[in-house]
Amino acid sequence: MMAWVRRQMDALRGRGEAAPTVPPMDGVLKPNTLLEAARQLIRVEAPDNLVMSSQSILFSSGNTVHVLDAATGSARELRRFDHVVSCLAAGDAGLLAAGLDDGSIHLWASNRESVALTTLGSQRLVCPTALAFRAASTLIVCQGSMHSKPSQWKHDLMQRGASGSVWAVSLNDQSSRKLAGALAFPNGIALSDAGIVVSESWRHRLLRLSDAGTVPMLADLPGYPGRLSVSADGGHWLSVFAPRSQLIEFVLRETEYRERMVRELDPEHWISPTLAPARSFLEPMQGGALRTHGVMKPWAPTRSYGLLIRLDAEFRPIESYHSRADGTHHGVTSALEVGPQVLVASQGGNAILALNPDAQVRGVRP
Amino acid sequence: MLSLASDFTTRWHYRLVPYHVTGELLSKNWIDSAIPFLMLFASIAVFGSLIPNLFAVGNISDLSRTVGEYLLIGLGLTIVVIAGGIDLSVGSVFALANLLMLALGGPIGLPLWLAALAVLAVGGLVGLVNGVLVGYLRLRAFLTTLVMLIIVRAVVDTLLLSYSREIGSVEIAAPVWDFIAFGNVFGVSVSFIVAVVLAALAHIFLTRLRPGWHILAVGGSRRAAHNGGINVRRTVCMTYVLSGMLSSAAGIFYAARLASLGNDTGVGLEVTLLTAVVLGGTSLGGGRGSVFKTFLGVIIVVIITNSLIRLGVRSGASSLVLGTILLFAVAIDVRWLKNRHKILARAYVSPTYFALPPLQSAAANSGSPYAINAALSVAEPIGLAEVDGPEDVILDREGNLYCGSRDGNIQRFFAPDHKRHEIFAHIGGQTLGLAFDRDGNLLTCVGGMGLYKVTPQREVIKLSDETNRSLFSIVDDSRMRLADDLDIAADGRVFFSEATIRYAMHDWIIDALEGRGNGRIICYDPRDGSSRTVVHKRQFPNGICMVPDGESFLFAETWGCRISRYWFGGAKTGRIESVIHDLPGYPDNINRASDGAFWCGIIGMRAPAFDMAQRMPGFRRRMVSRIARDEWIYPNMNTGGVIKFDLAGKVVQSLWDVGGERHPQVTSIREHKGYLYLGGIFNNRIGKYRIPGADLNWTAHESYWSASI
Repeated sequence: MMAWVRRQMDALRGRGEAAPTVPPMDGVLKPNTLLEAARQLIRVEAPDNLVMSSQSILFSSGNTVHVLDAATGSARELRRFDHVVSCLAAGDAGLLAAGLDDGSIHLWASNRESVALTTLGSQRLVCPTALAFRAASTLIVCQGSMHSKPSQWKHDLMQRGASGSVWAVSLNDQSSRKLAGALAFPNGIALSDAGIVVSESWRHRLLRLSDAGTVPMLADLPGYPGRLSVSADGGHWLSVFAPRSQLIEFVLRETEYRERMVRELDPEHWISPTLAPARSFLEPMQGGALRTHGVMKPWAPTRSYGLLIRLDAEFRPIESYHSRADGTHHGVTSALEVGPQVLVASQGGNAILALNPDAQVRGVRP
Repeated sequence: MLSLASDFTTRWHYRLVPYHVTGELLSKNWIDSAIPFLMLFASIAVFGSLIPNLFAVGNISDLSRTVGEYLLIGLGLTIVVIAGGIDLSVGSVFALANLLMLALGGPIGLPLWLAALAVLAVGGLVGLVNGVLVGYLRLRAFLTTLVMLIIVRAVVDTLLLSYSREIGSVEIAAPVWDFIAFGNVFGVSVSFIVAVVLAALAHIFLTRLRPGWHILAVGGSRRAAHNGGINVRRTVCMTYVLSGMLSSAAGIFYAARLASLGNDTGVGLEVTLLTAVVLGGTSLGGGRGSVFKTFLGVIIVVIITNSLIRLGVRSGASSLVLGTILLFAVAIDVRWLKNRHKILARAYVSPTYFALPPLQSAAANSGSPYAINAALSVAEPIGLAEVDGPEDVILDREGNLYCGSRDGNIQRFFAPDHKRHEIFAHIGGQTLGLAFDRDGNLLTCVGGMGLYKVTPQREVIKLSDETNRSLFSIVDDSRMRLADDLDIAADGRVFFSEATIRYAMHDWIIDALEGRGNGRIICYDPRDGSSRTVVHKRQFPNGICMVPDGESFLFAETWGCRISRYWFGGAKTGRIESVIHDLPGYPDNINRASDGAFWCGIIGMRAPAFDMAQRMPGFRRRMVSRIARDEWIYPNMNTGGVIKFDLAGKVVQSLWDVGGERHPQVTSIREHKGYLYLGGIFNNRIGKYRIPGADLNWTAHESYWSASI
């Protein structure tokens, strides 16, 4: 009863849970321009998921899967689908998996016919957001939402979706087992010694899945965490695809405005996180983002941002790479460590970047 | 359908309930008196109903004597407290004055006026001792005056021991003395009248005279006052002298009224009066307070003490009540002072319902007359990084270019290449709209200041900073907060817009969040120097441009996304007609084009998310109170441009800078000899754009002043 009264009071006065506060980017997450200064390896329309197959580097962009030649910065089309590719994974023996925006997962290898998955247990597959092969026979699948397609992630966020789940699909008989449910947009998988860790975007945290339930590994991030990929030192790379902001947190608590916005406005013009820096004059502008004397402040309030976080083996942040409000390398959706380099897909910046983490952290330009 | 119904109720809800009043009331200085005022009514109501004859005529006269004496002491104490000090010795000085007056006027036999002067001098002397100790030697006011309370009290007791019989034996017998004691003028006592007259003088002293301002300044911040050149020590010292003299004056009236030598005279008076002063709303921290507040406080305290006595409450309990009230008043004082600005910051911005017409497309390939392009991205910069916020630009007959700036200057760039520049005039406020009159004087609207004129000899003359006060406006709308743009009619009358009466220059953009018609258009008539508001309640009226017919002008309402035409002469005098009612962006200044059409600067574009917020005032109100100011959403002012339209409202051309690299927002445009000069309030440059096919000889000066001569 008291808790209910307190919630009502908080909602009225904007305190407690109703307070639209955002953790500051500080400590390890202190802003820099390392990601903005990173070399553009290749310009490509909306690159999404970078993966390493047994022979080559693959990435998805729109409907296609490309093979990337990191040495020359050129790409070659590997396969084209009828729908936007929402996620990729590469397994042993040239086995590849691609999730599509229509809610299907295609498994194929160069010498094998394509197999399509459209259900997870009794659930329809709607929103494949991240895939990972565990051993040779299991595919871990993140289903972001039961209601929205991967490309409609803004809808899921603005409807405060929490219908996501994580599944283990056996490749032998295509049976699937639910590892966790009621997640708010699971959107990245790390297979570590500790078990399966997924990023839960709308709750700004990383979760470890265990038989006993889920355990938060890293919580209260200042952005929306996306894909995870392994690092040679046993840690991981966490792509944070959009920043949190007071205004968006506020809108998320304004039910009537949110519902009307979803119903009446084009998602491009919503007050919502986004992958690309403002492109259209129809997008909402926040006071601090007013261009003054021809300059946009790097610390201006922004709905898009570029952030890549390096995690240690315990999933604690140890380094971060930023492209700030005045930058263009926004919307980092995946990263892939290749030798000394880290390739970063900046979906909002329409480019794949090559970071040299060791050199750059020491302040040496690559 | 659902949202339509909710829009309907929201619209009427916000139309009928004047939410903006709360913030405007809170921003008034006199709002500090609201709590004491309510307490006064409460105490009158409570005790008036408990005690049957409390407000009978006879009792009022009695009360007025006490109020008169208390008010005199209270005035002194108020002055001391406003200066940041405290005077606890008032009760003792009061007792000393009582004793001395009876002694000097009685056994010693001085003339009454001389006796009174002597007593006042002694009071002043005690105050001077306090003042020297506190003001010059910088002792703690509390301890010093506490010690003075004890010393003076001891002196009084000693004198009483030795001379009470002598003094008591001689009564002062003079008609004047009796009149002071018992006389009534219109049913109120002489002491009350004297106190009220003194209070009026003290009010004038504190609010209108230099020493009074010094006292307020010292109380507000000693250091700032010192840095401002005020003699802080002398000012502090003076307040104690005044306090001592006023306490003495009260003692004289007390002597006349009671002629009593009791040794409890004035005991505890300092607490009573301190209660009255603080209860009135004068802050113990100094710098805030007024005579009227003390007046209220004194009346409350007198009503309460008097009522408690008449209710038969024992005197100890009476002190207890007073002490409790003092504690309560101090608590309110502290909390109120601490939180007032926070409440104000939350409550002042008062959004209302505002629905714009459906948004027209301005997309690049839409075929709309507004279709966005990058024409202005090639505009040549003038004065890059040398100008700061040129809201308006103008050219004179010789082709020199003038612009306003955020730092209060008018800059002049010399023809023909506009490379060299100088400060033409310094006015002090942000210079916004500019216009040349027939004689080559440059008229300008200055944010926060009003309408000014700069002669060709660079003399700065104020034309207008005041207009008629509206009857029901709580904000003092006779003052001009944000004069924005102007134009001059053929008969010399100046019509200028005041964008908003609710926000000052540095906050102008917040007005966008309100969606209310906060602005107006004012006419300045140089023939008699008068100013008069001609158009009321418009949404950020901005650009003004005379139509060549000589009897009407065009004006833009920025947040309303519309351009209208107002007739100030001819058959349609007083009429307003819409010219364009659904711009896809926010219009700013309007000026003439060489082909008879008009240019209008577009400062920003309508964003659907903001348009929707404009229809949901509760959303904006919560946004303002819950998230940081830089995070609020506004119209998208990172894309802007220029449109050309004719009097029928047809848009014939539009020029944009879609990338926003050079001219993200355009607030001003002037055509001159085939070029368009662009200004922007957030920009650090003036743009010069070649207009294809424009008349190379056309100047605005000719257009305005040649034909009509």
